[in-house]
Amino acid sequence: MPKQPVNSSKRVLSNKPYYEPIGDEVAVFAAAYRNHLPVLLKGPTGCGKTRFVEYMAWHLKRSVITVACHDDLTTSDLVGRYLVKGGETLWVDGPLTSAVRNGSICYLDEIVEARRDTSVVIHPLCDDRRLLPIEKRGELLTAPPEFCLVISYNPGYQSILKDLKQSTRQRFVALEFNYPSASHEQRIIEKETSSDSNIASRLVKLGSMTRNLKGNGLDEGASTRLLVNAAKLISGGISPVTATDTAIAQALTDDVDMLEVIQELCRSVF
Amino acid sequence: MSEHKTKNVLDNILIKKSMCDNEVLNADYLKPAVQCEFSEASNFIRHFVRGLGGRELQIISDKQTFTDTESLYLPAVYAIFPFAKTNFTLYKLTAAHLWAQTWYGTWCYEIVEKLIRHCSTDDVMPVFNRLECIRLDACMARDFPGLAREFEIFGYTNDYAFAQWSQWREYGRTLIESGTTAEDSIRLIDQVKQLPLPPLKNYQGEMFVNQVHKVMIERIERDKSELTRMIQSIDVNEMKFKKSNFRDASLTRRLGLKNSDYDYENQKPEANIQLMMGAEMDTLSNFRPELISSILQDFDGIPEEYLQLMDLGNDNKDLSPTATTGNDRQQSEPKISGIFRYREWDYRVQQFHENFCSLRELPATLGDESFVDETLKKYLHLVNSLKRTFEGVLLESQLQRRQSDGDDLDLDAIIKAYAEVANGQEMSEYLYTRYRNQSRNIAVMFMVDMSGSTVGWVNKAEKESLVLLCEALEILGDRYAIFGFSGRSNQGCEVYRIKTFDQPYDLCVRQRISGIKPKSFTRMGAAIRHLGSQLQLTLAHTKLLITLSDGRPEDCDGYKGQYGIEDTRHALREIQKTDIQAFCITIDKEAQEYLPYMYGAANYTVIDEVDKLPQKVTEIYRRLTT
Repeated sequence: MPKQPVNSSKRVLSNKPYYEPIGDEVAVFAAAYRNHLPVLLKGPTGCGKTRFVEYMAWHLKRSVITVACHDDLTTSDLVGRYLVKGGETLWVDGPLTSAVRNGSICYLDEIVEARRDTSVVIHPLCDDRRLLPIEKRGELLTAPPEFCLVISYNPGYQSILKDLKQSTRQRFVALEFNYPSASHEQRIIEKETSSDSNIASRLVKLGSMTRNLKGNGLDEGASTRLLVNAAKLISGGISPVTATDTAIAQALTDDVDMLEVIQELCRSVF
Repeated sequence: MSEHKTKNVLDNILIKKSMCDNEVLNADYLKPAVQCEFSEASNFIRHFVRGLGGRELQIISDKQTFTDTESLYLPAVYAIFPFAKTNFTLYKLTAAHLWAQTWYGTWCYEIVEKLIRHCSTDDVMPVFNRLECIRLDACMARDFPGLAREFEIFGYTNDYAFAQWSQWREYGRTLIESGTTAEDSIRLIDQVKQLPLPPLKNYQGEMFVNQVHKVMIERIERDKSELTRMIQSIDVNEMKFKKSNFRDASLTRRLGLKNSDYDYENQKPEANIQLMMGAEMDTLSNFRPELISSILQDFDGIPEEYLQLMDLGNDNKDLSPTATTGNDRQQSEPKISGIFRYREWDYRVQQFHENFCSLRELPATLGDESFVDETLKKYLHLVNSLKRTFEGVLLESQLQRRQSDGDDLDLDAIIKAYAEVANGQEMSEYLYTRYRNQSRNIAVMFMVDMSGSTVGWVNKAEKESLVLLCEALEILGDRYAIFGFSGRSNQGCEVYRIKTFDQPYDLCVRQRISGIKPKSFTRMGAAIRHLGSQLQLTLAHTKLLITLSDGRPEDCDGYKGQYGIEDTRHALREIQKTDIQAFCITIDKEAQEYLPYMYGAANYTVIDEVDKLPQKVTEIYRRLTT
């Protein structure tokens, strides 16, 4: 079976996504967009990178096409390919081409997961040429001013084979994301889940406690996303201890010793 | 939990406790099946306390239960309750209570000074201890209700103690309110010291203010000089200041604390550090949060003298765009009678000492190869599992397109071929796709710490790790070399050849691994420069230098502390410029203080327990290279 173009979702956001700015990232992104500069988002998992892109798409009134990159993602998956239909060959745009044609924001999530050669295809799009060569069609697309390329990656991955090449990263305006401050994180949990401030503040405390263990038995501490998940379970009537155990402790590790520690921390806070 | 419910649970516990108090029954209840030993709980406690936050605390077994603010001293065994699990819980509660003393300001500088000057007599400290217990229990109840419930259940030695503590709580009810400090406990001492002292709660330790004072004074000096040094070493060129300001001698550096993010009422030392230059300000991310946290635990904020202005005139070299930063490339002299010369970075003058280190490369001593066989026997299951895992890595395959034969048709190739045929050209035969194993093109250099501090278990664990690594690497087919390093002074740096890239994993290599023995010191910079230059010469797509270490760089001639760290960091930067990736695996529990700075935030791993080293090292290698 011929491979279909990669799954992607083109979204036009009519409702304002909830996003709590941490610093001047909204202004920086908007300025980069106006100046036709691509944007690189760095940060640990679940800290709000994807939500930020959605928020900016809404803010700039552009549709957003998200591609979740994986280790079998090829250039054709991004640019497009010919398919045979009814005895004819038919060209199907990939998500990147589609975004360039429509002047959308194209968000390549976890770009380092894609094959290393794949990222090279975005190079001409990321400098002042803003071109997308479609080799198979002999076509050269010029990106309209509305088009914006955004990529993200997590620098905490400990794999030397999954690092972003200098030739790629030095084409981007880079925004570093981290877990929000305690007060920000509490506000996010409250707004996302309509939890009361007591539950939210305790979850924030638990989150920071698990982050203290990063590098000492845990690869990552609990992300804001995990805290929000736990808050949703609690709002849904699950007891806080069970909710934090299932949404946070079990999600963080399989190591029996570490699991016991995190479960105890969960019980301590509630 | 309500008072009534608490009392019911308490009654049950007290029944068991009173049984425990019976001498006849005691013999039964104190059997090993019931008690919980320190060794069973220490690892859990270490992680648990680290999770609670604040300064890194050592967990140590001792005859007395107390904290000196850098270590928690816990009893060798708990056998108070008739169940091992409950005694385990008591370890947790004791550690949490002692941690609370360091976190909620029992031992902040002003309080300790006051206690030393006015209240350190034998009759006052026990009173203070009990008042603080009331205050800390209230703090814990606000922040950790789960723990507070267990404090209530497992705290009292008997009914009488419960009644006495109730009376004391009545006198000390102001301490239960939010916002009270240890100062309030001191103020109450005179009011309650005539009352009979309740017995210590089960999880409560003693208080030794003189020991706290001694440790604190040393730490304060250490933290202050560390902070001062860090302010000095900030690279202002990387900040968002106008370059024109750099040369203005009237401008000064100053650390500021962004108070809005520092919530001392809830005792969360979370601070954004800002560097101010004139009217400009920039935030420093990740500015040694553990150091800031430690200072905030000692003081109510960062003392003004820590933030003293520093005249830029003192360190203009740092800031001037024309500052001497030395040649970027390392300069190893040609080999002269088996000795290599390497330069060393002196951060104090921001210059290299050229040809400062003399390094000899020696063959490692041969040992008894039976060590390898014993290791393979000891880790038989692990070796089998490693083989499966690493073979799995090899089986990961990649789709090859435009092949002359293969598993499937290559649609792109067919379309192109038809187009060419239609164009009058000959049809291509490369129309198939197939999966083929990915070729790994990795060369890895293992740099093994052979300093004197590795004596004993560490040395054994390092050797076992190397045996398992060799087994794994032989499966993967990655090119690898193993060198030990040690030495004494800049003129006596040594690296020990265990296996070179071209050498097979043979009897000689096995004997050399077996023969690894602790030597002298850890001068890392020269070893990194030497082994990095060897790695650079290998032909591989990915080059990796992995250091196995047990502590920070240190030598006998002043190569220690910040000097050693800065030189090592510089050496790593030099080799990284030649596309070598550096990674460090260490068992040093304090490594987080310096390894992120030397290797980068994601390029190191701390392994808590030495005996887990062999297992973890192979796991880390797999994660790094797949």
